[in-house]
Amino acid sequence: MGKNKPPAKYSAAGLLWRGLRKQSWPRVWREPEFKNSYDVVIIGGGVHGLATAYYLAANHGITDIAVVDRAYLGSGGSGRNTAIVRSNYLTPEGVAFYDRSLDLYKSMSNDLNLNVMFSERGHLTLAHTDSALRTMHWRAEVNKLQGIDSSVIDPAEIKRLTPSLDVSTNTRYPIMGALYHPPGGTIRHDAVVWGYARGADAYGVDLFQQTEVLDILTEGDHGSGRVTGVRTNKGDISTPIVVNCTAGWASTISAMVDVQLPITTHPLQAAVTEPVKTFLPTVVVSGSLHVYVSQTDRGELVFGASVDPVATYNMGGTLEFTEELASHVLELMPGISKMRLLRQWAGLCDMTPDYSPVMGPTPVAGFYVDVGWGTYGFKAGPVSGEQMAACVATGETPHLIKPFELSRFTEGNLVGEKGAAAVGH
Amino acid sequence: MNHRLPPADGEVLDRTKALTFTWNGKKLEGFEGDTITSALMANGHHIIGRSMKYHRPRGVLTADFWDPNTTVQVGDEPNVRASHRKLEAGMQVVAQNVWPSLSFDIKAANGLVGRFLTAGFYYKTFMKPAALWPRYEHVLAKFAPGGEVDLDTPHGRYDKRFAHPDVVVAGGGPAGLSAAIAAAEAGSSVMLVEHEHHVGGHLLWGTEEDRARVADLTAAALAAGVEILTNSTVTGRYEDNWIAILQRNHPGVVERLIKARAKTLVVAAGTIERPYVFEGNDLPGVMTSGAVRRLITMYGVKPGKQAVVFSANESGEAAIDDLRRAGVSIARVVDALTGERIVSTKGSKKRVKEVLLEDGAKIKCDLVVTAVGWTTPTSLLNMAGDRPVYDADAARFFPSGAPDNVLATGGMVGDGSLDDLIEHGRVTGELAAGRAAVVRHRLQVATARAETVDEAEPGYLADERTPLDRWPHPELFRASTHGIVDYSEDVSSKDLYSAAAEGFDSVELIKRFTTATMGPSQGKLETVNTVAVLAQARGDSIGDVGTTVWRPPYAPISLGALAGRINEPTRLSVIQPWHEANGATPILAGQWVRPDHYGDPLSEVRNTRENVGIIDVTPLGKLDLQGPDVANLLSLLYTNKWMQLPIGSVRYGIMCAEDGVVLDDGVTARLDEEHYLMTTTSSGAARIWSWIEMWLQTERPEWQVHVTPVTTGLTSINIAGPKSRALLGRLTDIDLDNEAFPYMRVRQGLIAGIEQCIAWRIGFTGELSYEIHVPSGHGLAVWERLLAEGADLGVKPFGLEAQRIMRLEKGHFIVGQDTDGLSKAPVTGLDPLLKFDKDDWAGLPEVRWSLESGDHPVIVACQPDDRSIVPEEAAQILRSGTTEIVGRITSSRMSPTLERSICLAQVSKEFADAGTSLEVLLVDGRRITATVIEHHAHFDPEGERLRG
Amino acid sequence: MLLVPCPNCGPRNAADLSYNGESRPRPDPQTCSPEEWRTYLYLRDNPSGWLVESWYCSSGCRKHFTIERHTLTGELRTPILPGSKPGATKGSTK
Repeated sequence: MGKNKPPAKYSAAGLLWRGLRKQSWPRVWREPEFKNSYDVVIIGGGVHGLATAYYLAANHGITDIAVVDRAYLGSGGSGRNTAIVRSNYLTPEGVAFYDRSLDLYKSMSNDLNLNVMFSERGHLTLAHTDSALRTMHWRAEVNKLQGIDSSVIDPAEIKRLTPSLDVSTNTRYPIMGALYHPPGGTIRHDAVVWGYARGADAYGVDLFQQTEVLDILTEGDHGSGRVTGVRTNKGDISTPIVVNCTAGWASTISAMVDVQLPITTHPLQAAVTEPVKTFLPTVVVSGSLHVYVSQTDRGELVFGASVDPVATYNMGGTLEFTEELASHVLELMPGISKMRLLRQWAGLCDMTPDYSPVMGPTPVAGFYVDVGWGTYGFKAGPVSGEQMAACVATGETPHLIKPFELSRFTEGNLVGEKGAAAVGH
Repeated sequence: MNHRLPPADGEVLDRTKALTFTWNGKKLEGFEGDTITSALMANGHHIIGRSMKYHRPRGVLTADFWDPNTTVQVGDEPNVRASHRKLEAGMQVVAQNVWPSLSFDIKAANGLVGRFLTAGFYYKTFMKPAALWPRYEHVLAKFAPGGEVDLDTPHGRYDKRFAHPDVVVAGGGPAGLSAAIAAAEAGSSVMLVEHEHHVGGHLLWGTEEDRARVADLTAAALAAGVEILTNSTVTGRYEDNWIAILQRNHPGVVERLIKARAKTLVVAAGTIERPYVFEGNDLPGVMTSGAVRRLITMYGVKPGKQAVVFSANESGEAAIDDLRRAGVSIARVVDALTGERIVSTKGSKKRVKEVLLEDGAKIKCDLVVTAVGWTTPTSLLNMAGDRPVYDADAARFFPSGAPDNVLATGGMVGDGSLDDLIEHGRVTGELAAGRAAVVRHRLQVATARAETVDEAEPGYLADERTPLDRWPHPELFRASTHGIVDYSEDVSSKDLYSAAAEGFDSVELIKRFTTATMGPSQGKLETVNTVAVLAQARGDSIGDVGTTVWRPPYAPISLGALAGRINEPTRLSVIQPWHEANGATPILAGQWVRPDHYGDPLSEVRNTRENVGIIDVTPLGKLDLQGPDVANLLSLLYTNKWMQLPIGSVRYGIMCAEDGVVLDDGVTARLDEEHYLMTTTSSGAARIWSWIEMWLQTERPEWQVHVTPVTTGLTSINIAGPKSRALLGRLTDIDLDNEAFPYMRVRQGLIAGIEQCIAWRIGFTGELSYEIHVPSGHGLAVWERLLAEGADLGVKPFGLEAQRIMRLEKGHFIVGQDTDGLSKAPVTGLDPLLKFDKDDWAGLPEVRWSLESGDHPVIVACQPDDRSIVPEEAAQILRSGTTEIVGRITSSRMSPTLERSICLAQVSKEFADAGTSLEVLLVDGRRITATVIEHHAHFDPEGERLRG
Repeated sequence: MLLVPCPNCGPRNAADLSYNGESRPRPDPQTCSPEEWRTYLYLRDNPSGWLVESWYCSSGCRKHFTIERHTLTGELRTPILPGSKPGATKGSTK
């Protein structure tokens, strides 16, 4: 452990003890003093930034770190996603990477001493056409070779797993089969943020909310010099290493050091219904219908779709999203037309041309990126943190993230995830 | 009906119409006009539900749409708001969130362990042993609140409407009505949308004179042409004033979604009375002053026998009058303005029975009424970008400013006499109409086909409204005790204190950690108290804590209403009805419904190879290209050469995107000097049309080409097989002699009596074949003629599956199946079609670099060594004895012609040479071997059949 | 839903149009380096602010045009058909 004492241990006994003594719990993280120098500054207090900080401290002993976020912790994509995790990707490099993430998620409640409520409920990607079914088979075959539990199942098995789905053949989008991934599921996204924040804080990492980066200070030529610090609304920090762990604003942050990215920013919308008694035991995704749905323990249905076609930083959301969502969900589950949509929201997604992230060093020395996370950033949070920490600490790009380096675009070595459906959940 | 008051002025009941309904199976009666809860209370039922976490009994708190603990199940409909929904005869109403029954609820035991179940407790436990978490999770899920979904619920009738009003007014209180009238009188078309069942807002439960004003205003609005929608909610304000309105009372439909492009939106949503936080504030019998006023005046319900009224304002005073009028004795008026305070209440299992005051007095009662102030439903304004600001003197949030096309009026922007509110509404309505007129004029200019709009643009109106006053009000949020802040989520002020102490001390974090404001009313009722308690806990001001961002919808909206009439379009060839009548099994291919086969695809293949078959290929994308620069265009979009294509010839080509990836393929025919017909893949038709227009308009605007999509204008039929010449010859005047009309040529002429038909010879199936394109009005007739005339030749229709088998026998790849999103042109193996001596074509550089690097997979044909095994499409090809993926099977079938399994595969280049043995991993885990063959074609590689 | 002022049709719901994204000049395919070509293909400014981009009136007149849009506020200005001058086309209603 770092210089601070370990955080209060969470447990049932602790709840009982404090309940009896009417004692409150200590703060999850400190309110640190703003220093003017750190070994590492991480921009973005979401799962990626906090996990990077946590693993830098836990795995590499680097604790003189500031994590800055312009709003509150988890205010970006980390708190806006639909909390689905899975590892049944199309390419071997994708599978290996996300499977490591799933492993970290599985042991996270224990590792971070905070229940992130990982619900391993099984993940179904429906196929409504021959060609979609072929892609499901392709994914399943690649997955199996990597040791991932993933297979294509028939409509009868789909009905058994998820009785609310209409598997009759006379629908506009008949369900012809599904890629079934039993280890996939959902997790409490905010808890993941708080778990990493609490863990990093315990190692002495300083977390600064409401702290906006205004500029990144460099020396040398534009686009190829070296990082010397960051300028924030709370003052300047000198540092040799800046890690861009933002989503949505990845391009604008990188533009501060003249690094151009293969990214356009699109909103991804989601919505939640009023709660009803639980009836949907799996995560259901339909690429053709651009929808995914799961039911929380509280009984709400959580819906997502594919990103909006128009690039924008506006998170206002659209009516059309809810209309299309509803008509598509009712194609799949005709019996829920009387359920009501309670809330819709949007998060910003940094889309790349090959549906894969951009990770590792850049032409500017000391400026690292962990960006371009599209619609799959949350699932990759733990492994990204672990690998980015290794990258920053050792100066070497670990093999798991080597395929995702920025240089692949100018070299023409795009990652093959583009073959997977546009809805990547 | 022991709690029903005698008839009185202001009630909305029709006492001549008694309605029978059931409550948890018990038969009860109410009147037409009752809400479900008013009917229940009139019958003496005060517990309507139980709270989410502690299962405490709950009753009516606000008696309006936002009433937090009165959601019930009505038949197959969950989560019905019983304080809003009107009673209907025969309704089967059941309490939600109770087990086993409303009066005896076992989960109420949760209340006993409440101090251990602090907010976010689940984050702190159940980590160990990890194996047990799924079981805990299962138990937690049993506590899910809400009603039950009947999965057999039919999709009822829902509808949608588009509207283009000048002004939409959200809220039909006095200010909203007045704004609507003024806007309409100024020449605007106006929609007035009222959330509740009647316009009038708070006047409805006011005095007789108040209701007379409502009648006058309503009459004036109707006279001015205002469209009044009641029981309808403006659920969202989206970009450029795109307004969503949910109409719940449109005849003939369950609900209707109106999408209105308003030129100006006026928000007159009024205020919502906020509850007071104190110990026992959730007991049945604790209500807001508005609740008792609505219940007494509108619904003729006596809410209790003996009341304590905690009042800080005129609404509390009015409630006292109403209570007295209803025969409720007033045990005590606790006057907040003189500093008197409620501390806590005690209750029986069923309702409140005693109130403790700060001066130590304990007062028996069965009704506690609080009038502690207001909260402003700024949600719609937030959606337009407004960020509300707290005013400590008035003790509530106010809007701070929205875009020019969104205006607020009424109680949400200030206080005043009824006349003040109406006047503010009137000025706002005029302003809204004036600004709408500017937008209307610009729209006319922008869309005018001729210069018909010459009037000068109306001047832009600045906002010069005199603001309403803000009356001082004490900041009353919480007593000295802790109580419930969020009734639907069961979050107490104590939970908020401990969450803040743990560091979840911003409004967004505390919301996420405790779930306060996340329930069915989305914080309309709860946010202000959440913020106030957090401010107390932090020792901060409410203004510094700020508020959360409200998101759409304003009120929950059913999936049925959002979906409307479910109508996913499909496309059909004119022959499709014939196919279905003749036993075709349909298959969905993109938007098209096509015949997959007519019973036996293998015999369809055999018949086509031996005799003649016809297939409806209408979905093939077809573009008519005319002009002097068509050859230039083709040369730019295809990888091969087109400048010298003779009239009467057909050529095959591949198109690439700018990244070199194969985009589409097909044949294009030159019909005349400047006239070509291009075909694309079925799924690519729309995309290629756009692609062509993009190049023509942005990169080569000087070229002259007309592009017309003719996919459905022409019915396309492929006649294939050795007897196809004989068959077509019976129907056409075109000379079909092999010399006169050889392979890869096009001819035009008469077919089946139809003029100007096009026929070309191509060979997708590998047989002698003619693809004919006839005007679609004659498509079915030509199809039937072919079958009739060719009966003796053995003509039979064939479907998509037979075509796929035959194309695979011939080794023709399919874009998107044998290629994928990263397949650059060299993957196809058709290197001779990549012409680098042309100046330019789409994707040229990437294709050249890819070819130069040689580092790309290629499509090969291969045959399993065990001819009876058909590897699945997607089966992986591995480096022998390893798990290293070196390719995959992209197409596979059992060939009825060769009587063996055949495949196309994508493999790394080192595995592409003829004779290479491939190790194929079948889906069932077996590994088999397959051998790469020399050509793509498994059958007739020299193409003798199709040239014959 | 955004109202997009097509220079030919006037303001239309965004759903009636197709979005083609940031306008990028196309390098000479004969002489460009891989880096130049791939910058054209993949790299984007993606600013949070004003952006010149390309739209296609796919359900209307089927004209491609460029327009300036503010990616944070949704404001649109100066729609231009290829080859014409700004101001020669019908303007926005805003």
